[in-house]
Amino acid sequence: MDNKPLRMIAVIELLAVFLIWELLAGFQWFPTYLSSPIAIIKSMGELWADGDLLNHIGFSLFRSLMGFLLVVIVGVTLGILAGYYRRVGTFLDPIVNTLNPIPKIALLPILMVWFGITDTTRILIIFLTAFFPCFVATRDGVKSIKQVYLWSGQNMGASTFQLLRKIVFPVTLPKIFDGLRVSLGLTFVMMFSSEIIGAANGFGLGFLILNADLGGRTDYMFAGVAFIGLLGFIFDKLLLTIRSKVLWWDVNKV
Amino acid sequence: MTKKHAAMEIENLRKVYSTKKEEVVAIKDVSLTIPEGKFVSIVGPSGCGKSTFLHIVGGFIEKSSGKVKVRGKEVEKPGPDRGMMFQESALFPWLNVFDNVAWGLDIQGVAKKERNEIVEKYLKLVRLWDFRNQLPSQLSGGMRQRVSLARILAFDPEVLLMDEPFGALDAQTREEMQVELLRIWSESKKSVLFVTHDIEEAVFLSDTVVVFSGRPAVISEVIDIKFPRPRDLNLYKSAEFRDYRNQIWDMLHQEHHKPVQIVSEVVNG
Repeated sequence: MDNKPLRMIAVIELLAVFLIWELLAGFQWFPTYLSSPIAIIKSMGELWADGDLLNHIGFSLFRSLMGFLLVVIVGVTLGILAGYYRRVGTFLDPIVNTLNPIPKIALLPILMVWFGITDTTRILIIFLTAFFPCFVATRDGVKSIKQVYLWSGQNMGASTFQLLRKIVFPVTLPKIFDGLRVSLGLTFVMMFSSEIIGAANGFGLGFLILNADLGGRTDYMFAGVAFIGLLGFIFDKLLLTIRSKVLWWDVNKV
Repeated sequence: MTKKHAAMEIENLRKVYSTKKEEVVAIKDVSLTIPEGKFVSIVGPSGCGKSTFLHIVGGFIEKSSGKVKVRGKEVEKPGPDRGMMFQESALFPWLNVFDNVAWGLDIQGVAKKERNEIVEKYLKLVRLWDFRNQLPSQLSGGMRQRVSLARILAFDPEVLLMDEPFGALDAQTREEMQVELLRIWSESKKSVLFVTHDIEEAVFLSDTVVVFSGRPAVISEVIDIKFPRPRDLNLYKSAEFRDYRNQIWDMLHQEHHKPVQIVSEVVNG
């Protein structure tokens, strides 16, 4: 478990990228609209000092995490049912296989007609995008359960509900977490996309970036992007932490 | 109670696998009676249907026709009246040894205090009480199968079904497990139907060895093993042991060349 050298390499790599970027910007080899890292960090500081940043982050997080919560509930439940009951799986397959390749952002105008320029629309578009990795991973995880686990459960008199809750769910958890990790990343991707509607008023990092664009402040745009990246990074780490706590028994855990 | 039932009665059991092209008869009208408290083994070449037979008795695979009765009660589905031990470990990897054994008791709603006492009793019986907080992945193959046995005994089935439970173990561990199994069995005295491809294992453990011949499975011979109990590993060295072994060995190898068609035999208690 010697991760230290690897971590050092990652840090050095990041610093090197920033250094080269900064130098290129310093020598003016970059056009001015590619702000230098130091300028971006300064802008991040300015945004932080300005009270609105927490609001932007708060609203963005609310939308992402609500979408993610829906993914967890609906994706895992449907995934387990589709994996366990062949009929449910067969029923859902054509729907999933047609919806999955559609860029969900194409549905945004339709959702806007239905739900208006609201957070409902935004959360739904996040959910629709992030749903599939979680659903597919859960369904396939359930399908690959060792038969003897289910047989053992039946042998000990478990009902179908008990089998699903006390065997299928825990044994599929590693796969579920794999799917959720991809889904979580997508919720942050879609958070920005969902905020391109109704940018003139309201809060959110997407709005922040678009407003900076209108105001010609590339440094603020980069700062907004950096904040999204930072949030994505933090929540990915958070998910991994929860995963290793929950899956303490899993020999293959990260 | 007008009539005392046998532990297990299998009547004219037939299993047919249907494919698009043809019907394959895997088990052809096998009848077998296992008397109360007896240890009965089925041996046969691999792929002869002996494992399928056991899975049907367990209710895990559907039969095509025939009857399976446990103490006179006909069975269709898996249930806690028949404790099944599988070849590969069926222990739940996310639960420690204690919780694995407690699982079936929780399902059946046994009160916590009583449950803990039962788990302790059977983990001590298989000599793994000290390992109760370990995960299955931290145990050796032999220990895992002992936990499996404790888990089955804990929910107190009427009969035990064992599908090559020591098949994945090395030769020495397997012999140790056989002795352990006999010791544990002598305390519970539950009727056992044991499937194995290992002739010596069958002779060492059993009161009766049933020889299956394959494709479709029919019973070709039923042999009573007349060694007294308790038995120990020295039995392996005796001349009578080798006689039994050779007798069964010849039978299996004859089968290989010219299949005989004895449709059914009954073990009488």
